[in-house]
Amino acid sequence: MKRIYMDRFIDTIEWIAAGFVGIVAANIFLAVVLRNVFNYSIPDSFDFGRLLLGILIFWGIAATSYRGTHITVDLIWANVGPKYQRWIDVFATLVLLFVVTVQTYTLFDKVRGTYYDNVLTFDLRWPTWPFFAVAWAGDVSAVLLIAVRTYRLIFQPELMQEPKIKIPE
Amino acid sequence: MSTDVVAILGFVALFALMLLRVPVGMAMGLVGVSGFSYLVGGGPALKLVGQTSMRTVTDYTFGVIPMFLLMGTFVSNSGMSRDLFKAANAFVGHLRGGLGFATVVACGGFAAICGSSVATAATFSAVAYPEMRRFGYPQSFATGVIAAGGTLGAMLPPSTVLAVYGIITEQDIGKLFIAGIVPGLIAMLMYLITIAIIGYVRPNFLPTGPSTTWRQRFAGLKDIWAPMLLFVFVIGGLYGLPFLPRFTPTEAGGVGATGAFLIGVLTGRLDKDKILASLLQATRTAAAVFTVLIGALIFGYFLTVTQTPQKVTEFLTGLGLGSYGVLALIMLMYLVLGCLMDAMAMIILTVPIIFPVVIHLGFDPIWFGVIIVMTVELGLIHPPVGMNVFVIKSVVKDVSFTTIFKGVLPFIATDLIRLVILIAFPILALWLPSKM
Repeated sequence: MKRIYMDRFIDTIEWIAAGFVGIVAANIFLAVVLRNVFNYSIPDSFDFGRLLLGILIFWGIAATSYRGTHITVDLIWANVGPKYQRWIDVFATLVLLFVVTVQTYTLFDKVRGTYYDNVLTFDLRWPTWPFFAVAWAGDVSAVLLIAVRTYRLIFQPELMQEPKIKIPE
Repeated sequence: MSTDVVAILGFVALFALMLLRVPVGMAMGLVGVSGFSYLVGGGPALKLVGQTSMRTVTDYTFGVIPMFLLMGTFVSNSGMSRDLFKAANAFVGHLRGGLGFATVVACGGFAAICGSSVATAATFSAVAYPEMRRFGYPQSFATGVIAAGGTLGAMLPPSTVLAVYGIITEQDIGKLFIAGIVPGLIAMLMYLITIAIIGYVRPNFLPTGPSTTWRQRFAGLKDIWAPMLLFVFVIGGLYGLPFLPRFTPTEAGGVGATGAFLIGVLTGRLDKDKILASLLQATRTAAAVFTVLIGALIFGYFLTVTQTPQKVTEFLTGLGLGSYGVLALIMLMYLVLGCLMDAMAMIILTVPIIFPVVIHLGFDPIWFGVIIVMTVELGLIHPPVGMNVFVIKSVVKDVSFTTIFKGVLPFIATDLIRLVILIAFPILALWLPSKM
């Protein structure tokens, strides 16, 4: 039962990340169409675009880290047996966990700084810290998912299952 | 410890971590922060992590990467590759090695709306390989031509690798895209000539296909309106064609992605699952690329405090090899590195160090971008690693690596000749951007 909840949680994080990439594309498309057809600029379209991009990437890092689809050098890994492959994966994931945890800690400082400095968007003068906070939440999810990945790689390798959405080759 | 020793230790640690399969971006970030922390202090080093990460992911210019990746995944999953292959096959399939010609032309067409070599190779392994085998083409040729055709993905615009090069070196991404057009077309032409030569020298090696009428050929063209429309609109807008609105590269990517989505939905080729898969695929790849970018930028600070780029520049220019001698040395290094890592990682890891050398030697940065992408793309098909070869092997199970590499060899020779031509005549890459 626990496993089902955990996998649902992982899938939800992946879908959130996937949703943001669509929102960024739609924001850009709408801004271009309105500018060129109606000579109208969406207020803060530029700021929203870049802030949504930040959210998309940090949530994407969570999904990518769990699935192990980062850019890696597989020269040694591809030439050793399954037992050593697993231990290489465990080592790499532990390093990943450490780096992303440090990143998450330092990013929190950045979110706090943005809140205290009251950084605003250019046109609508909206505070930017909520966007930074949502992006930071993506990095927190990344830490959680990498921790799950590490645990599963060590104790339950059979649970490192494929995502619900089958990506075509 | 002197800064030189710290720099050398940093590189040793970086390569050790990468060989132990630590993600390239994370390894660069970890070594960069550790080195910076040792030389400057822990506090500033930690501040660097948060600031660089957030600044990188919220830079609007960098949005070009996820947007073109999304356009590529929508295009791949909506099956436009099959129409391109059918249309090309109708025109040239009856010639000796005709399905090879059709594969190269279709790869070129697909590359013009996709932007990824690996995606192009994977797509055509599924589309063109079964057809070639059905008509009796040897396995080595069929896989070799797909591996080579796949590399067009990084040369013809939109190219993700060229976009990343533009970001790192602060060059105009639009100009880089346009600079890739002529070299990409030359690559296509030279691959076609290679196939013709193989067919001429070994007539029994490559079969011919059934002939088609002109009516059938023009009928096939009707099915490729979507990729053509996308290419003209996106790249035309980027170039500034008079009848189109002018786009920035990020806008071109966003418009292209939405255009590919709308075409896919309106023609009934993208269902809910395919849309979700496309979004997820683009997100994961974009996150992987951004991770490397963040790591590279942090590593860049380490390089700056150790003055590595200046020292490498002094060393290379002091060898007395002349500018083209140094360029040859750099390219040789890329070919060797191509045996170890993929194109994106190579570009992000090495360009910050090599770029100052190239500028010091007086080479054009746009031209160098094209040359370097061509060189790293060669790494995608040459042994022992060749990412495109691995991708083909993962789709086509009944073929050995040796067979694929055997088939790729004539195309590697072609690529080397093309590289020499592009170095001798930089105008081939620079003429179109000069008209922007």
